[in-house]
Amino acid sequence: MPQTDQVPHRFSKHGFSLEKAIRFFFASNAGLTIVILLLIIAFLLKEGLGFFPGYRRELQVYRIAGLEFVDLSRSNLSAHEQLASVLNRAYFAEINGLCTRELKRSQEAAALFNAFSDRSSATRELLVSNLGAGAEAHPDLLATLRKNHAASIHQALAALPATPHLTSAERADLLQSIATRDVTATDDPPLVASLAQQYAAAQQQQSVPLARLRETIDAFEAAGADLSVLVSDMTATVTATKEAIQNADILNKGRASLLAAAGHAKDPATRERLLTDARRSLAANPDIDAPMQALMLHKPVCCAAHTALRQACATILEQLPPTLSQPEAQRLLRAARSATGPFLANLANTPQRISEWRHDQPVPLSAAIGSFLTGKDWVTGGEWQDFYGILPLLVGSLMISLVALCLAIPAGVGAAIYINQFASLMEQAIVKPVIEFIQAVPSVVLGFIGILVFGSVLRDISQLDALAWVPGFPIEERLNIFTAGCLLALMSIPTIFSLAEDALNNVPAAYAEASDALGASRLQTSFRVIIPAAFSGILAAVLLGLGRVIGETMVVLLVAGNRIKIPDFSSGIGAFLQPSHTLTGIIAQELGEVPLGSVHYQALFVVGILLFAIVLGINATAHQFISRPRN
Amino acid sequence: MVTDLTNQAAAPPAAIQIANLSFAYHAKPALRDITLDLPTHQITALIGTSGSGKSTLLRCCNRINERIAGAHITAGSIHIHGIDINRPDIDLQELRRRVGMVFQKYNPFPKSIFENVVFSLRLSGVRKRSELDEAAERALHAAALWGEVKDRLDTSALGLSGGQQQRLCIARAIASQPDILLMDEPCAALDPIATLKIEELLHQLKQQFTIIIATHNMAQATRCADHTAFLYLGKLIEFAPTIQLFNTPHHPQTLAYVTGSFG
Repeated sequence: MPQTDQVPHRFSKHGFSLEKAIRFFFASNAGLTIVILLLIIAFLLKEGLGFFPGYRRELQVYRIAGLEFVDLSRSNLSAHEQLASVLNRAYFAEINGLCTRELKRSQEAAALFNAFSDRSSATRELLVSNLGAGAEAHPDLLATLRKNHAASIHQALAALPATPHLTSAERADLLQSIATRDVTATDDPPLVASLAQQYAAAQQQQSVPLARLRETIDAFEAAGADLSVLVSDMTATVTATKEAIQNADILNKGRASLLAAAGHAKDPATRERLLTDARRSLAANPDIDAPMQALMLHKPVCCAAHTALRQACATILEQLPPTLSQPEAQRLLRAARSATGPFLANLANTPQRISEWRHDQPVPLSAAIGSFLTGKDWVTGGEWQDFYGILPLLVGSLMISLVALCLAIPAGVGAAIYINQFASLMEQAIVKPVIEFIQAVPSVVLGFIGILVFGSVLRDISQLDALAWVPGFPIEERLNIFTAGCLLALMSIPTIFSLAEDALNNVPAAYAEASDALGASRLQTSFRVIIPAAFSGILAAVLLGLGRVIGETMVVLLVAGNRIKIPDFSSGIGAFLQPSHTLTGIIAQELGEVPLGSVHYQALFVVGILLFAIVLGINATAHQFISRPRN
Repeated sequence: MVTDLTNQAAAPPAAIQIANLSFAYHAKPALRDITLDLPTHQITALIGTSGSGKSTLLRCCNRINERIAGAHITAGSIHIHGIDINRPDIDLQELRRRVGMVFQKYNPFPKSIFENVVFSLRLSGVRKRSELDEAAERALHAAALWGEVKDRLDTSALGLSGGQQQRLCIARAIASQPDILLMDEPCAALDPIATLKIEELLHQLKQQFTIIIATHNMAQATRCADHTAFLYLGKLIEFAPTIQLFNTPHHPQTLAYVTGSFG
């Protein structure tokens, strides 16, 4: 029976009871978080969505001014330079490989001497500067300085790097000569000098049979000269045009804002003044047709240069030796050979692209979006042209995450299985808090541990002769994808471990009991019943770990090496030992320095949106697995 | 290691001989001095109030009680087909394959129906598909479930109804062809129709298995069991053929319980 005239609660006052107030307080707390999240999304979209029209205008200018035309030739030129550099590296790898012994001996002696100099230079410089002062220096002071220097020499001699390739007699001789060195001497110790000479002589000697290869490489390098001159000619013209267009753009923008302000102005005098200003700032339309016509005159010359370069390169590259004796040189030669085909093909079809190119072709918005999503270059603040291609960053993020997951999944899930299924109570009491403690280490601390300890140790290990067969060894860069991945693995292990352990814990005890009653051993129960039953939960744990890895910023910024380039996959798995940049790292690094509201600034926001979408997607998938009903 | 627990020719007619068994959880005694011979190929019901020790007694027969820390036998022995199952050198996994068990709450694994049934065969390393198929069909037939699930063996076992899931658990328990089947209040979580089906099933299963069923439902004991044991506070009060126990109980406590005066 509906109650029509309700008696108000005795606490209620003007329809507002204590109960309602409490309810409202908690509802507003929950509501606030949602509102803040929505505000963040709205802000990201507002700042980011302006990017595509802005980038489109930049690409338009790139075309109208003729930079795109020059880049047709320029890309071939840089490909040519890259190929030449690979060939040069192959040449020197061959020579150095043939005189490895001399190289190592010379390097070790020099390294030993340098280490000694570094450690004793402070006291030495003090002594030398006081000696230079001549009679003014107090003899007691000099004596003390000498004593200090002798002590530091003694200390330095005690801890010098190992020299496995020097004989013990040579090492003793070297130590003797540096210990008894005159303080003012600046030349190298005799052994260091003689080993350097021996190395140079060996290089000289080994280069004799390679003279033909040297000639080929030189000829190849020289072949690009014509095109190079042509490109730098055209570059001057087009940059001037581009600058003119950009200046006009800025003036137009200023004028538009003046007009807008005039439209809003209430006072007629102010409006008049603003309108006058606007009229005065009317930009002279930059002359783009004349320079463009001049540029178009280059078309036939460009085509001819390309055809000539192609013919020259094709003949020269055929003269390369079929094999080289050193493995590294052979690898580089093979890399050069596989790059040759695309290089020549590009050269062959460039003339056609040059003649078809037109400056007045429109740039659609989709071209800007496509260039953002699939562009291989992220170039900003350059003099030539800015490109915002996300691929190198995305590839970097994904490769680092892959390394991290490959290490963290076995470690985290394995530890969870062991702790949940097999460990004694004591082991549980020790291991669980320790793993969860890793989470408490601030990521910036992990980052510098990664740089100082892990990166250096890894590089030192990679330089061991016995490990030269590992792909990518010796590591060139101390900071690379692998080191970043290792640290991120360490960071995500607690997440994966805790959630996977929870998932295993949540498997109903009845399953284990039933399995035992059917005659399963401990191991069979774990691997045939418990773990399969917890599988979706474990998968969710891994996904949430991945979300954490992709979103992590500090460690990758410190440890990943921050080179904006898609790693070179020609060295196979060694690509993981190259430096890289990431989606998160680029935002942290560049956002502080970009002009507010510029296209670059907006581009970083779009990267942020993309990152947000990726992590959101991963978390949503993970929650799908978590909430999947078990019964 | 004792691995052969099959029925020996020289074995006595009782499948399970329990002699002076006492059992405790930590220091708390749960069974006191129980002596009981359970006959082969018959159904024996264990009845009693909650906490009377009927489940504990059942769980001693396949030593599943050992999963609980601190649970141990304090005196006496259990022989199955003449072999002491508490010998230190017994093969526990083989024992549990010979003594199947069905639990109060049906608990199929979150796997397909087929994989549930052949679970124990997979444990013993059977890989041949034909052998698995045959065993699954036999076990499902025996559990009167074949007709209902034969077309969806590969679907999840968790999609079946409660009664079907419990019959699937019975099929899973008998797939390795044990001699003895322990049932711990198998119908407690089921509706009357599903209960009826399981009871019908028990009569068929009796041909092949020695069945011990713990139940708090006296009507079920009278319907199914050949023999009934009445336990009270961990002691065996009376053990007799079911008709005799319910109609002319010797012990006054049994009389009080079966007439409903306490419990």
